[in-house]
Amino acid sequence: MIGRIRSRTLETGKFIADWMEHRSGIVTALEHFLYEPVPKRGAWIYTLGSAVLFTITLQFLTGILLLFYYVPTTDHAWESVYYIMNEAYFGRLIRGLHYWSANFLLVTIGLHMAQVFFSGGYKSPRELNWVVGVILLLLVVVLAFTGYLLRWDQDGFWASVVGIKIGSYSPFIGAQMTHFLLGGDVVGPATLSRFFAIHVWLLPAALAPFIGIHLYLLRRHGVFGSEFEYADRLAKLHERQRLEEFARYEEDEGEPYVGRRDRADREE
Amino acid sequence: MAELQRDPITRKDFLGFGVLGAIVGAILTIPPAAFVLGPVIKTDVLGESDVPSGLDDWFKVGSIGEVPAREPQVFEVEFPVEQVYGEREIQKKSGTSDEEFVVPNAIWVSWKTEILPDGSYGESLRPAFLDEGGGEPLTPEQIQEAEENINVLSSSCAHLGCPVRWYVSEGAGEFRCPCHGGIYNINGDLVSGPPPRGLYGYAYEIREDGNLYVRHEFEGPGQPYVI
Repeated sequence: MIGRIRSRTLETGKFIADWMEHRSGIVTALEHFLYEPVPKRGAWIYTLGSAVLFTITLQFLTGILLLFYYVPTTDHAWESVYYIMNEAYFGRLIRGLHYWSANFLLVTIGLHMAQVFFSGGYKSPRELNWVVGVILLLLVVVLAFTGYLLRWDQDGFWASVVGIKIGSYSPFIGAQMTHFLLGGDVVGPATLSRFFAIHVWLLPAALAPFIGIHLYLLRRHGVFGSEFEYADRLAKLHERQRLEEFARYEEDEGEPYVGRRDRADREE
Repeated sequence: MAELQRDPITRKDFLGFGVLGAIVGAILTIPPAAFVLGPVIKTDVLGESDVPSGLDDWFKVGSIGEVPAREPQVFEVEFPVEQVYGEREIQKKSGTSDEEFVVPNAIWVSWKTEILPDGSYGESLRPAFLDEGGGEPLTPEQIQEAEENINVLSSSCAHLGCPVRWYVSEGAGEFRCPCHGGIYNINGDLVSGPPPRGLYGYAYEIREDGNLYVRHEFEGPGQPYVI
């Protein structure tokens, strides 16, 4: 009985997979994107990039949940965070995940970058992926900075004032940058609105395509060069050698190389 | 060049594309850029402020008689802010909210004090008429004396804007910043730490009623961008 159910489930699953594969090629795409040959030794260290991706996904998910209660106005921001923390079901868990995974995100990004740096993974032809990664790092740092103000407590408030003041020391555009972030010339309701807009819409929307590019470039070159790619290249190389050999053979009218050499010696 | 000539683009086409591209580009970019950069245009180009800071906009701080010698006194002033909740007229008409947003600033007020060569405090220049109970209104001479000898300091550290507090240890006091350890003396001058200068001083005046008034503006060069 159980065996029959299992075989029928498998059959149905296979049918659906085939159906999808035939129409969208999704199975091949998934295989291509999920499976990556890595050396056995120290394989865990290659999961750091996935750890970053996982933490960012967690940020997106918990952030979406927090938006159900958070109110981005000066008179209600702190109260709504208080509500999330004390009244909403599992609010402490959801916000705790958002808060702590934000911290761990920066840690894992640091480890991920260190691993890529020390293993020389940024070298040709992967330079562009390093550049994209740095853009992602900057986006995440600005996300962390703007998220700090949103709880509108003394801690976040003064940290943001300090951050904006650091920005005010930028050469040439210090004042403009400051007033852009503040939404005026003092910290006020416009500042909170701006930080909210930047934290919740602008940066996540900017982050997503760069993550896509990062993954695409990773898979294009592979961590070590794709195994399939190597097999392909080897096959091509062998084919070329064979053709070259054949061409030489035809040129020399079938006379073996040794014979040619001996004749050349004699003729001298 | 040969390749370019094979697929010729006439001068007319080129100009047409250029002009059309410029127009479409302007239509697509100017509105969102101006929308987002509104505050930058307002503050840096038009020179407007969210806090009323005209020559008539004075805010009362408190009585100068309350400020003792050799020790600063802190006052809180709530400056009204007109940012996104501006247009008080409309708010009143709609009746949704007539509550205005204020930005509370702490203001440290102290009497100028002599600083001895070893850094300790000498004589305080607190005007004597305050103790004599000369009574109000103050005479113009008294006002002038008080204005010359008073420090009206922003609590915002000149380094990165954290609020400084007065800290007394071993008899001598100093302003300390909690963030990066900037230290100022009672006159707001820099003693040590990372700040590039002393505390910012407000534009102030003392009136006949013995009260101190400030504008949301700072004296001297180098106005801070964040207040």
